Amino acid sequence: MTWLLIIGMGVVVFLNRYAFLEPRLPLRLSANARQFLGFAVPGMLTAICGPIIFMPAHTLNLQPLNPYLLGAVVAAALVRLTRNVMLSMLLSMLIFFVLRSVLS
Amino acid sequence: MLACLVQMPIPMPSIARHAFLQGAIAILPLSLAVAPWGLLAGSMAIAANLSAWEGQGLSAIVFAGAAQLVAIGMLKSGASLASILLTTLLLTSQHLLYGLSMRPALSPLPLRWRLGLGFLLTDEFFALTSRHDHQHFNRWYALGIGFTFYVAWNLFTWAGIVLGKSIPHLDQLGLDFSIVATFVALITPLVRNLPTLACVAVSLGASVLFSHWHWETALVSAGLLGMGTGFACQKLGRVV
Repeated sequence: MTWLLIIGMGVVVFLNRYAFLEPRLPLRLSANARQFLGFAVPGMLTAICGPIIFMPAHTLNLQPLNPYLLGAVVAAALVRLTRNVMLSMLLSMLIFFVLRSVLS
Repeated sequence: MLACLVQMPIPMPSIARHAFLQGAIAILPLSLAVAPWGLLAGSMAIAANLSAWEGQGLSAIVFAGAAQLVAIGMLKSGASLASILLTTLLLTSQHLLYGLSMRPALSPLPLRWRLGLGFLLTDEFFALTSRHDHQHFNRWYALGIGFTFYVAWNLFTWAGIVLGKSIPHLDQLGLDFSIVATFVALITPLVRNLPTLACVAVSLGASVLFSHWHWETALVSAGLLGMGTGFACQKLGRVV
């Protein structure tokens, strides 16, 4: 039963991933579709971050002193200033953990 | 950050290996960032009375963190096979969008490359490979990213299975901030115009609202709404 579930889930997820990679699928992307999909990276990555930042422990937290929010703002500011992705990630993580221990 | 390496002249036979290694290096930070979820996926499987093989099998065959964690939770509460599969379908529907977006780069590849890279197509894979347009898409670079991430995910799952419940409150340590730090650092340089800013703002607000409403399709709905907003702004901007 459990193995049936695991394999079933594997098939479902793989079909989601593979469906549009199949060249025999009769589909040509129009200029508009390509333009729309150009927003996929900022749109989807932001959607993944949203709940992590504003719903830590699955409850809504809209306080300005939320360490996840402050950490995200610091990361954005750092990458603007330094243009260094790796440095910004590491520094903002350090600042997040300091803020977290101070604010809680 | 690796731009200087990309532009170095490389002797022909080592191009593939070089690109593979570049991909592996590029995904390292995100591979470490998923450590808490990998550990959680392993330890939760054991806590839900799955065998070690079944727990590892989930990560090896399904390879989708959110779907795995939700499925284990549903299994524990006695949900039916059909309802878990339907939830998996909804929870992982953003991959349809990734596939569509990467179609120009991936669909002309031979079958084994399509199957392999298709299987490895995760949020993180998409975040790193779609920064290049499809003329500059390198299959070996993509494979380095996907394969390294797959190995890391399975190693962390294995560690979670072995450590089991001996890691207290793993989900409350704030390790998930590493995903935020990485994605914010990737998104921020893209926000150079009003349409992208609008896309990010709407996607952020909608993702929090839809998650608060417990929508299973919260992420992909919010993403689509944000993308639509950005697209509409771009169109309107041309007209005005």
